[in-house]
Amino acid sequence: MDKILQDNLRKEVKALFEQKKVDLVIGYETGPTKFTTTPVLIKNSEEADRLVINDFITSNLAKMLVKIKGKAGIVAKGCDSRSIVSLIQDHKVKRENIVIIGVPCSGIIDVGKISRLIGKEPDEIDDITREKDAVLVTSGSEKKSLPLKEVLYEHCLACDLSTPAECDVLIGEPASPPLDKVASLAKINEMEKMTAEQRWQYWKEQMQRCTRCYACRNVCPVCYCERCFVEESEPQWINIAPNWQDNLIFQVIRSIHVAGRCTDCGNCERACPVGIPLRSLVRKMYDIVDEMFHYKAGTNKDDLPLMASYETREAEELIR
Amino acid sequence: MEQNSEWKPQILGFLCKWCSYAGADLAGTSRKKYPANMRIMKIPCSGRIAPLFILKALRMGFDGVLVSGCHPGDCHYQTGNYRARRRIALTKKFLEYIGIEPQRVQASWVSASEANKFAQVSEEVTKEVKEVGPNRLFSDNGQNITG
Repeated sequence: MDKILQDNLRKEVKALFEQKKVDLVIGYETGPTKFTTTPVLIKNSEEADRLVINDFITSNLAKMLVKIKGKAGIVAKGCDSRSIVSLIQDHKVKRENIVIIGVPCSGIIDVGKISRLIGKEPDEIDDITREKDAVLVTSGSEKKSLPLKEVLYEHCLACDLSTPAECDVLIGEPASPPLDKVASLAKINEMEKMTAEQRWQYWKEQMQRCTRCYACRNVCPVCYCERCFVEESEPQWINIAPNWQDNLIFQVIRSIHVAGRCTDCGNCERACPVGIPLRSLVRKMYDIVDEMFHYKAGTNKDDLPLMASYETREAEELIR
Repeated sequence: MEQNSEWKPQILGFLCKWCSYAGADLAGTSRKKYPANMRIMKIPCSGRIAPLFILKALRMGFDGVLVSGCHPGDCHYQTGNYRARRRIALTKKFLEYIGIEPQRVQASWVSASEANKFAQVSEEVTKEVKEVGPNRLFSDNGQNITG
């Protein structure tokens, strides 16, 4: 199935170059290690054969559009297309300057989860084949079938838009990952059962590991500020050296800054080198925004951004 | 160890220049009685408030933060307080989620003529912050940090 999609994608990209509709195309190519992909910039139709589509196209590439000049094509899954719409709403990207090549997504496989479930390093796995509700993992002579829901990224299980709505070309038929909101939000729900003091303690412990490498910010498709508040020196909002207090302030403010633009694509959590459950922060913000303002990021490019608009009567109970 | 009866909460009040600050001024000139726990910072509009200000105040050791501006529809800049409301609402909900007591983050609308309301808001906010106790959120050793 992926093979046909991939061929169609390459054909489509070649056609775009031939019709001179794009100067370059942002997509995925096979990564340096097994079961990974890495972003690639395709500059002419010959290079289009490097493009791949498989179950491991993890990254959200929308952010790359912000710095690209000229006409760019981009391969986008559902969540990526929403991030692109967010960037259009924020006037960071012009709709007429981009060609969105939509790829219906049926969930992205987390190789780390498979590796933990079967107790083997990704290098030792020979093949991962996707079936309807399971994945078949082959490693040497061993074959093991794992339920699909257990090996997909958690954010995929609560996907709101798996087939890109805003796109110029759609490759293949609409698709959807198996949905399981309870499993997807398990960490958040667990947290909400704790007392305020326990929650604070939890985040305090998590943030003690943060080295403030800013990987989460740098991969975030909607974190595009040219100057982030953490780098301001006059006034200096937070200490440059990492300490848990300022790490926590950084993460909390980042979560608030991306409110109404975050599409729960999971890029931040994947990028974190020390494994802080960042999705428990931004996904909570996503739900608060949905609950209070009935707003889902990146669903309509003509909407005003969440924080640039208001209703005359809302959130009144929170203010004296 | 401080006794709770002796401990006085410190509250930072961000008051909008056009309404709440004038309201607080009027409360003073008309000799209304209200708790003296609030340090007031004049801001051009409640829409100036960034969530970062609130967190920074808590990080510095303030026990509570109050943001106060013009009533909806009365903003000197037409829509500043509506925008502030969205920001404050998100901040309040989110801070509650990570474990900051919601009583520490307060907001109100007080107009330039509402000296009574200002006195009442001060009273209520002080009472609520007193109930949740000193802000030890950002301290390393459980001690109170004073800003």
